[in-house]
Amino acid sequence: MGTRVTTMASEEEDGPLVGRADTLSQVQSDLRNAGPGGTSAVFVTGESGVGKSRLLRETAGAMRDAGFAVLSGTCLDIGDASPLHPVLQALRQFDHNVRPAGDAGALLDRVSQDLRAVAGDRRLLLVLDDLQWADRSTRQLLLYLLAGLGGVEIAVLAAVRAEALQGAHPLRKVLAELRRLRSVRVVDLAPLDRDQTVELVTAITNGRVEPEDADRVHKRSGGNPFVAEELARDLRDGRAELSDTLREIFLSRLAELPPPAHAVVHAIAAGVEPVAHDVLARVVPLSEAELIEAVRAAVAHRFVASAGDGYRLRHRLVAEILAGEVLPAEATALHRRFAEALEEPGATPDHARLAHHWQKAGEPSRALPSVVAAARSAEELYGFTEAHRHWSSALELTADGAPERTELLAHAAESAHQCGEHLRALSRLEDLSHRPDAPSQCDLHLRRARYLAAAGRTATAEAEYERALEAPDCSPRQRASAAAYLAELLLHLGRYADANARAVDALEMAEVNGSTADLVRASAALGFSAAFREDPDAGLAVIRNAVDIAERSGHPDELGVAYLHLAELLTGPLNNIEEGVLVARRGADRLASLGAGRTYQTRLLAVAAKGLFRVGQWSEADAVLETAMRHRPSGADAVELLLSRCQLWVGFGDVEAAHRDLDAVATLLAGGGARHVLPMLTLRAGLAMWQGEHATARASVQRGLTETRSDDLVLIGVLAWHGLRAEAEAHAAGQPVDPGALRRLKVAVERMVAGVGNAAVPVRAVIDGYADLCAAELSRVEGRQDPAPWAKAATTWDTRRQPYPAAYSRLRQAEAALQRRSRKAVAIGALREAYATAIAMGARPFAAEIVSVAQRYKVALADDVATVPFPQPQDTDELSLLTQREREVLAALAEGLTNREIGERLFISERTVGVHVGHIFDKLQVRTRVQASRVFLTAA
Amino acid sequence: MNQSVWGPVQREMTDLLQGHPDDVPAVVEQLKELQAILGHVPPLLVENPLCDFNKLYLTITEGVLERLYAGKFKDPAFLSRLDVEFAARYFDALRGWAGAGTSPRCPEVWACLFQRIPGPDCRPLPSACAGVNAHINFDLPFALVTTFDHLGSDPIDDSDQHHDYLEINDIFATAIPGLRRGYLEKWQLLIDTMNGCLDDWWQGEAVEYTRNVAWRNAQKLWGIRHDMSATDRERAGLDKTAAGLNKLLLSPLGAFLQ
Repeated sequence: MGTRVTTMASEEEDGPLVGRADTLSQVQSDLRNAGPGGTSAVFVTGESGVGKSRLLRETAGAMRDAGFAVLSGTCLDIGDASPLHPVLQALRQFDHNVRPAGDAGALLDRVSQDLRAVAGDRRLLLVLDDLQWADRSTRQLLLYLLAGLGGVEIAVLAAVRAEALQGAHPLRKVLAELRRLRSVRVVDLAPLDRDQTVELVTAITNGRVEPEDADRVHKRSGGNPFVAEELARDLRDGRAELSDTLREIFLSRLAELPPPAHAVVHAIAAGVEPVAHDVLARVVPLSEAELIEAVRAAVAHRFVASAGDGYRLRHRLVAEILAGEVLPAEATALHRRFAEALEEPGATPDHARLAHHWQKAGEPSRALPSVVAAARSAEELYGFTEAHRHWSSALELTADGAPERTELLAHAAESAHQCGEHLRALSRLEDLSHRPDAPSQCDLHLRRARYLAAAGRTATAEAEYERALEAPDCSPRQRASAAAYLAELLLHLGRYADANARAVDALEMAEVNGSTADLVRASAALGFSAAFREDPDAGLAVIRNAVDIAERSGHPDELGVAYLHLAELLTGPLNNIEEGVLVARRGADRLASLGAGRTYQTRLLAVAAKGLFRVGQWSEADAVLETAMRHRPSGADAVELLLSRCQLWVGFGDVEAAHRDLDAVATLLAGGGARHVLPMLTLRAGLAMWQGEHATARASVQRGLTETRSDDLVLIGVLAWHGLRAEAEAHAAGQPVDPGALRRLKVAVERMVAGVGNAAVPVRAVIDGYADLCAAELSRVEGRQDPAPWAKAATTWDTRRQPYPAAYSRLRQAEAALQRRSRKAVAIGALREAYATAIAMGARPFAAEIVSVAQRYKVALADDVATVPFPQPQDTDELSLLTQREREVLAALAEGLTNREIGERLFISERTVGVHVGHIFDKLQVRTRVQASRVFLTAA
Repeated sequence: MNQSVWGPVQREMTDLLQGHPDDVPAVVEQLKELQAILGHVPPLLVENPLCDFNKLYLTITEGVLERLYAGKFKDPAFLSRLDVEFAARYFDALRGWAGAGTSPRCPEVWACLFQRIPGPDCRPLPSACAGVNAHINFDLPFALVTTFDHLGSDPIDDSDQHHDYLEINDIFATAIPGLRRGYLEKWQLLIDTMNGCLDDWWQGEAVEYTRNVAWRNAQKLWGIRHDMSATDRERAGLDKTAAGLNKLLLSPLGAFLQ
């Protein structure tokens, strides 16, 4: 490796840091104070030259001294950088070369592993400059890490140019969402005020400055430290006339540069930073000694900064000034030389960089191979947004007549579809259809239908599928596929009769000519449409058959899809949760034994956990979620799991963990995703109610109401129930009810009830349950103390076999009856039943509520159960707190027996086992069977 | 920086703008509080031109909220996000306002209106129109792009989102009767006295028309949103054109609209 001019632009070349001491220490303390998820972030925004990079540098140094592992990366402004560029580049400095992985989630996991390896046992600080140029993949990675999904205790420090946030830059939205979190700070770096500017000028000029000159510097720089510093240097160096603009400063310095240094500055300006020394040597025709001399001069005149990995222009503002100074022909020649230098044998191919230079060199034909290579490597890293841009520039580089254009159009269309650029995808497809060597009509219709469906234009998508089916060149296989997709689409549209008819056809075709995937898809459409049309057994048989077919094919994806459909059918419309959970877990185990289908395993476990939650087996749900989280999910799958887990925390009353998961969800949703907002708001309201924070609960529900579609009846039901409950709790706590909120909640309930007639039968059953709860809460808001609506709700939820809402209804039923002093025995029975359920589930806040009602009305909750539950453990052997019976149950539990099996062995009912297990968990202060077994095995 | 640009309510203004509302009810709340504060900005107090705009904007946003609660929109998640993004840009402009010539972060089109807060007095209708112009012709296309980007869908004509978007025109129509037909001829006359690109912008039906222009501009911006320098150029262009119109509205000529 050639000699390098290093560390010439070290600290002493920087002016003193003025007016930032408070910010600096605040930033450090914010970074050190990780949020509940173990992560923290500071985003520094401000105009160019205000000192963001400097602040990053100073902070990184201080944090390194404080024992942090520091990793630094810079985002590139060449537009078409490769995915994850700044992070992968930073990792490369530690000799970690991240290789492509099996899927996008696995790639994120791999990057996290490398980050953990770099960090070792230290906390990690990731510093990213110029984040406004970060690609979409990098933004997603950041959110993944900040949500704690990578398992890295990371602090992120990033700088963003304020100018970039003014338009519609995606970071604008991301920062607006993130700044609401306690672990994230957005620091707006303001220009220096007059006194600070004078202090800076005085320091640079060593005090030899006239006050009016310092004032002029402040006026002309507007307090921008970069500009002020350069103006002050001119003053110090005795330049006769103080320049008016930064531009003048640097142009006059440029004139003083010796010609070789001049060439070096222009070359670096044309390069992609950092420009490595050996590349520069190939671009600038100078001898080694001359080159080093020239670089020294460029550094001394403050154009260039030098670091271990190469040279950069000292500042973005300098680059902007130089851009106007280089003749177009000169720039073209420089880009050509860069491209040639990068193409030399021995250099690792950086396709994105090479493509950039060849394009700027005006050599489209030479750029094309690099652009295509860059597109392919972006696809390998699941950077479809970046890939799409590369494919698009490849198209710009080819003339209409070029034969490769057909293939490029197909890639461009597909990558646009993958990254959600639906309009683009469709217009590329349109161009593709006009090519003489276009794919077949049927193929084009199929693709167009797929793109249209993804864009939510279902009516036109349906027509395209019809056209594909009618196309004369449609092969039997394509026809089967088209019919299966069409049936699926109709199902999503809620047109169950049409979906059913189409699925029957599709299944017939697929059985003869289709792929397993088509078979599974058609079976699922048939199964669900049948279930929604009140013929559940027929539907179930079809999907079970699909699972058998997938089992025979043994393909992980097909297995995953088939099991998922079966589990969702059972836990969803059929409400056969126990079997659905069993199927989901079996499917996950099956995939695990194949060592494949990680995403489907996660999704299956998510279905199982949701089912377990609903049937009240919360500790079991907790264990399943723990397994699922170990698969390190990302994106929407991660959001689903976090929401399920948070639901458990709210139920268990673990406030801290619930907040942590809600923050993690909010972090991930900062990157987009509307359909999870409502569940998040619902959980926020639920948590706030247990904490007695009525205002938060109300605000969450009211926001939710503004974002619910009028056909989302179940979501409206859940929200309205939460909202009415919040009003009822406020009323019960002696606080005023919000009449406006109440009126809107009533409207929402009316909407739901009005819409129920159009809903499918299985959906109707759920809505009825929420309608009952809403009516009952309303009676409470109105102070009617009526047990009847609550008794009705309890019955409805019993029929649904969902113990939690049923028990909640019983509590309120008992409360109303006790208040009225009527039918006391029934009330006590209901209260005890609710209590048993609450204890069995581990629902602490709920149990506490029951206990407080019991104490208010002096009701003993059980003959052998103390009225005050959850005794605090003493400083003795943990197991000594347990009764003899509880120890027997725990011993059996540690053997891995289910509640039913334990009941059979000890000759007690399954429900009693549940009560014992609840007590055991409380006494041992554990939440899962696994944890309880661990305590037992250690103690025994 | 000029610390006293809001005079005696500087403190209240700074405190209020610390908030970043993230749902429509919170936007309405913030606009209400803003209305109260703006009424105390001397010397014109409630007569100041920003008050006129803010009042109109508050009425319109309340109308949106009412329709959201009533389930009147096809895609309420879209419309709520859009409303929040839209308002955020108005609050950003206020945050960036530090006085004429010293507000690099405040778009020119807003600066035109803000610098008239101390007077000389202009008529309420053109003042409100100037705000509407800034907000719709400049802020709205960007708010649309951000919203679509966030929701992962694109601006397609005749989509649910487009339908909801156009629905707002009704709210405008009821909120600003003064902008309806009777005034259009005057508008046209005013525009006719101007040359250049304003003519393309402001023909036909005032708000409805501009809102559709904003939709078209959003579609245009959508196509180039990954290209930062192209977006910057477009933003500067939109700002300049809209600011030109605002200068006209706030000039003595604008008074004749009243």
